[in-house]
Amino acid sequence: MLFLPLLLAIHGPAPDGDLVERLQRRDPQALGELYDRYGRMAYSLILRIVRDTGTAEDLVQETFLRVWNRVQGFDAEKGSIGPWLLAVARNRAIDYLRSASGRERNAYEFEESDHPALYTDMEHDLLVSDKARRVKQAMLKLPANHRQVLELAYFEGLSQTEMAERMGQPLGTVKTWVRTALKSLRDDLGVVVTA
Amino acid sequence: MTHEELRDQYDLYAIGVADEPVRDEIRGHLARGCEECMLQMRHARELAVLFGVSPDAAAPSPKLRRRILASVGFEQRRFGWAPWLGLATALSLFAAFYFSTRERQFAEIALSLREQMRRQTIELTQLNEAFSILSGPSTIEVNFGQGPKGKVYIDRSHGVLLIANSLPPAPAGKIYEMWVIRKGSKPVPAGLFQSQSNGSALHIQTGAVDPNLAIVAVTLENEAGAAQPTTTPILTASLQ
Repeated sequence: MLFLPLLLAIHGPAPDGDLVERLQRRDPQALGELYDRYGRMAYSLILRIVRDTGTAEDLVQETFLRVWNRVQGFDAEKGSIGPWLLAVARNRAIDYLRSASGRERNAYEFEESDHPALYTDMEHDLLVSDKARRVKQAMLKLPANHRQVLELAYFEGLSQTEMAERMGQPLGTVKTWVRTALKSLRDDLGVVVTA
Repeated sequence: MTHEELRDQYDLYAIGVADEPVRDEIRGHLARGCEECMLQMRHARELAVLFGVSPDAAAPSPKLRRRILASVGFEQRRFGWAPWLGLATALSLFAAFYFSTRERQFAEIALSLREQMRRQTIELTQLNEAFSILSGPSTIEVNFGQGPKGKVYIDRSHGVLLIANSLPPAPAGKIYEMWVIRKGSKPVPAGLFQSQSNGSALHIQTGAVDPNLAIVAVTLENEAGAAQPTTTPILTASLQ
């Protein structure tokens, strides 16, 4: 049920293609529609990472500005713009966390999210299907330490070495947990995400 | 590294937490346009995107949308809510005025009804007392009439009832006062009353009546009444 608002927020039969074309024509109303479609989703993700509403709103604004400024590189005919926008949102938030805690920034990761073409060709309904709900359910089924390493990686942007330090575990153990957690997740999800 | 060795690393690379030298290895494959790595990375990015929608839903401030549009130089028209707000304010003021007026009217009506009920209760009590006197088996009836005309009824166990006609309302600041007078004694005050605009008046002095009562009289006195008559009686009813 927790996913319902998110899914409702991004409902709407209109594909992103037309929206992307209007963004590329610098139609500000299209930016408003993009926000209506993905704003809550981006905010929820960023808030989960930074855990402060004011900072989260600032980062959501940065995210939409970045998408607005780089949307020319997105192929309107190749899938939804949502996955790229969420990648930008997460990277903005992780970048903030790293800066705030004095950790090294992962420059390549941010360069990558600056290339929207890498996020084309994804399944068109990736965000509007129940896959996200199934991912969450699969996460809940993981052992606590496996779930923790995935959350530390995704929501705190910790490398495996940093996770090992944080958890006080040998690096090899953490790597095993990460690998096992991801394998369990993919096995549980079956055809949802193939690898 | 082979693709098999990299198999578990694409997901970590996709969320930016792969360690060296794996990171450089994948980066090199991608830079060379390695199709296998590009395919695996697409799947890894899809999983990463799905992680992104797993947090519980939260709602940003309604102002955020306007902030974002303003940051690209697009000012939304701000008066969208203004007419509705104005209308709502006007309706609220009207409703407050209307209901306060109605409430005041209801309060006045309630006060008037209470006063009317109080007067009717008094009149009903008077009528009951008058009926008791009139229906007493030993009630004495005495006529009077020089100017104001009427009758006095005396029931020695219940009291004295005075019914008068042609008794004009007392002037402002004045009132009628009834007196009961024993033979050879000073007048005793027996209550204050006012007559109606048509000249009729009814006054009752309840309680046991002195068996030696000789005269019932009425004088015009100051509004507070008097301990002894200060004016000549307007009417006098003699029992003997």
